[in-house]
Order: sequence, then structure tokens, then C-alpha cells
Amino acid sequence: MKITGKKVSVKIIRYIVVLIAFAFFIYPIFWLFTTSIKFEVDIFSMPPKFFIFTPTLKHFIHVFHETEYPVQALNSLIAAVSNTALSLFIGTMAAYGISRFKVGGNRLLFWFLSLRMLPPIVVSVPIFVVAAKLRLIDTRFILPILYLLLNVPFVVWMMKSFIDEIPEEMEESALIDGCTYFGAIWRIVLPMITPGLVATGVLCFIFAWNEFLLAMIFTRATAMTLPVGIAGFITTEQVFWGPITASASLASIPPVILALIFQRYMVRGLTFGALKT
Amino acid sequence: MTLNRIPTLGRVRRQFGWAMIAPAFITLFLMTIYPFMYVIVVSLFRWSIVPTIPRVFLGLGNYWIMIRDTAFQKTLWVTFTYTIGVVLVEMFVGFLLALLISTGKERWLRVAFLLPAIIAPVVVGLTWRFMLSYDLGTANYFLKAVHLKPFNWLGRPLNALLSVMLIDIWQWTPFAMLIFLAGLESLPLEPYEAARVDGASPWQILKYVTLPQLTPVIAIVLMFRTLDAFKTFDVIYMVTRGGPGNATEVLSYKIWQKAFFQNQLGYAAALSVVAIILATVMMNIFSRILSKAQTRT
Repeated sequence: MKITGKKVSVKIIRYIVVLIAFAFFIYPIFWLFTTSIKFEVDIFSMPPKFFIFTPTLKHFIHVFHETEYPVQALNSLIAAVSNTALSLFIGTMAAYGISRFKVGGNRLLFWFLSLRMLPPIVVSVPIFVVAAKLRLIDTRFILPILYLLLNVPFVVWMMKSFIDEIPEEMEESALIDGCTYFGAIWRIVLPMITPGLVATGVLCFIFAWNEFLLAMIFTRATAMTLPVGIAGFITTEQVFWGPITASASLASIPPVILALIFQRYMVRGLTFGALKT
Repeated sequence: MTLNRIPTLGRVRRQFGWAMIAPAFITLFLMTIYPFMYVIVVSLFRWSIVPTIPRVFLGLGNYWIMIRDTAFQKTLWVTFTYTIGVVLVEMFVGFLLALLISTGKERWLRVAFLLPAIIAPVVVGLTWRFMLSYDLGTANYFLKAVHLKPFNWLGRPLNALLSVMLIDIWQWTPFAMLIFLAGLESLPLEPYEAARVDGASPWQILKYVTLPQLTPVIAIVLMFRTLDAFKTFDVIYMVTRGGPGNATEVLSYKIWQKAFFQNQLGYAAALSVVAIILATVMMNIFSRILSKAQTRT
């Protein structure tokens, strides 16, 4: 009886702590979204209106019709998708080379990772100078190239972890049966790593979609992406909280949905394949 | 037929392996080696981005200025306080939460814990900026609701630093938690059963069974969080712009400001060299810890 009483109280404490943690981590996101569907009066009301207010879509309509939002969303999409495709292609090739032929060994693998871990600001001045000479600043070509620095090391690590899981005998038997190397990769390896490729691509997309520092430095107007546009809403005189939360909510939808669909791979992705789940 | 091919296989394989790696390697090598050489050269000059302003060779002058610059010392202090502070809290709280949640079955909770890590840092920054606003923010509303004095989150130097650290902790503790959780669930059950049969207390089980087995996972979280916190920029830019004064001026932010705002490319390059060295040193330490932790298990 005594033991069960203690067990029940431990259980209750556990629930309370988990609930508080959950509330703390989810509240800002809840607040962001509800603010975007409030009228100005309700946004600034004290005490704040958490649940009971008249919802409105006016900020979303405003954002779509009177700001550069649609163009910025398109720019973000172009940058993220083209970079993801490029990163997956050259990254997976390298991952295959490292996984199967042990080229460069651990040193090469950690060299890739160290590039990803480098603060991107340290390379941006020199690349800016070169990009300016090539007239690439504020074009849609520059970000997909720059984001290779972010995503190729990620793809190498992720895809190596997936390719490592496929027994080498699979390709060897294909080679013995007269397949070429490319044939073996195309027919045997690729179909087996497709889920991994998709999950890796999803994370590449999210990383590129969310990236801010490089986008801010290398785009001005025509190629400006969503994070830069959102940051631009905060002007020195005034902060337009309605439109800014509306655009921020919209910008969060693709990563959130993708993460929910691919949640099985998220832990593995966020640890670059180091932790298999 | 097949036997004929085998002797050449080794050599062909190696060349093929290099060919597979070449595109990624060459691209990234060019994208980093040129910048590295550039910042080293530029760091030796007084260099403006405007070509008409004369560039003056200073030798190690920029580094000498940097070492004596109290603002630089402050930046280093802020960067290290921020990095070490957030990583310690995130790992500790993340681990405790993981222990708590691992005993339950609430899978849907885990999905929610993913959100802070996958939302754009810019969005995180602006959300918190509004929530921490002194008279309009809901943070102070909650404090008043429990009869505490409103807190000047962003107005005072130390408060501002603690606030941006709090934001980082909000954003990345769930990440640490999810990874610890995955690690905990991958542990084999037998050692636990053995420990329980031997009459070990929960504390002893944690110390002698769980923690030693979890070392590789702890190393992974430590590495990712430290290096990520070290290069933080977006949230600082959105919430404080390095202010008030230079209370939240982390290294990345300072380099950006010197290069693109104050037009002191030489000085920014010297700062970049310091950042590259620090990141490389940390990366070396962590890769060693990680390889060691992984081979041990």
C-alpha cells in the first residue's frame, strides 16, 4: 500500500513536469500562430487573449497582396529545391565512395563535417567579392551554390550511414553477374537507399529553407528569400506584428509538415546519421 | 571471365572511389580554400570594401589591435559564456526530460518536441522578441500573474545575454532530449535486469549502467550543440542586434558587423581567422572524443 502510494505520487510528479516542459516548448509556437490570426486590438490587449478572440485572415491576405511575400516564397523554394537536388547528387556519390572504397578514411569524413561546423560568416566576405565580380549577387544562382557548403557535408554523413547498412555482397554479386559499377549502383544500391535519400533530401530542404545569414548577405531584392523578408519586417520605426507573424507562420508550415511526415528519420537526420533509429 | 576481372578490381575500385568523391571534394575545397587564403591575406591590411580607398599593409597590426581591443575581449567572453552556458543547460535538462519521458508512452509528445529545432531561427527570434517585450510581451504578463515583478528581459546587458541564452535553450533542449531519448531506447535491457537482480538503486543504475552506455550519444549531442552554439547569429540579429551596448555581441555577429556594416574588412578578416582556428580546434577535440566513444562500445 505504501509502495503504491509512492509510485502514484512519482507518476503524478512526472506528469506535471512533462506537462510544464511541453507547455514551455510549445507555447511560443502557439502564440506565434494565434497572433497571426488576430486583429490588432487583440494582439496588443492586456491581459492577452489566448483562446477567445475573433479570428481573421486579414494579415495573410495583406502579406500575399501587398508585400513581396509570394516572390520571396518562390525564391526560397527555388534555392532550397535546386540546392537539395545538387547536394543529394554530389553528396551521395561521395558517400558511396567513402562507404565502399574507404577513400580518405575518417580524416576525409571529419573534414566534411568540419566544413559544416564552420561559422558561415568567415567565408562570406571572400565569396562575396568573387560573386560580385561574377555578377551573381542577388541572382537566383548564388544561394543554391552557397548552400552546398551546408548540405553536401550533411548528405555525405547521412547517406554514408544508409549505404553502410547495405551489405557489400549485393553489389559484388551484381558485378560478378556482369553488371558495370554504375549498373550495380543504379539497379541495386539506389533502390535500397531511396528512403534514406528522401529523408536526407527533406532535411536539406529544411536547412536551406530556414537559412538566414548567407541569404541576407548575398541577396538584396530580386532573389531575396523568406527569412530575409521576415527579418525585414522589423523596421527601425515600427514592427508590424500582424503581417510579420502571418508570414512567419506561413514560412514555418513546410518544415513542420515535412518533419511530421518524416519524424522517423528526424533524430537520425539531426545527428547527421551518427545515431540510427 | 569473372576470375580475369578480379586482379584488376582493387586498382579500378580505388580510382572509381576517388572519382565518386571528386565532385563533392573539389566543390567544397574551392569554396573554402580560397576564402581561407583570402582572409589570411586581408587580415594583414587595413582594407576597405571600396576599391578607391587605399589599402595599407599592417602586418600583424590587426591582430595586435584585436588583442588589446576590450570590445574583442568582451566578444570572446560573451561567445564562450553563451556557448558553454547553453550547452550545459541543454544537455542537463534534455537528459532529465529524456529520462522522464522514456518511462511513458506519449509518442505524440515527441513530435511536438521536434518543432523548435526545425522552425527557422529567424522565426524563433522574432517570436521571442515579442514575447520578451517589456510592456507588451506575454513573458512579463505571466510573471505578473504569479505576482512577480516584471523583468527587463532585453533592456539590461546581463539580462539580454541571459535572454538570448534562454531562447537558444528553448530551441535546442528538445533536440538534446530527443537524441538522448533515442539513445536510451536503443540500450539493451539485460544490464538493467542484472543490476536490478543485484539490488542496485535507481541512482546506481543511472551511474553505472545508463551513463557509461550512453557515452557515444552524449558525445554526439555535445559536439553538435557546442559547434552550433559557437556560430550562432540569427537569433542575436533578430532579438538584440548584439546590444544593449555589446552585451550580446557573439563572434559571428561581430565579424558580420565589422565586415558589412563598419567596412573594416581587415579587422573582420583577423576575427575570421580567430573563428576558424577556434572552430577547427574544437572540431578536432570533438572528433577525437567521438571516435573514441564509438570504438569503445
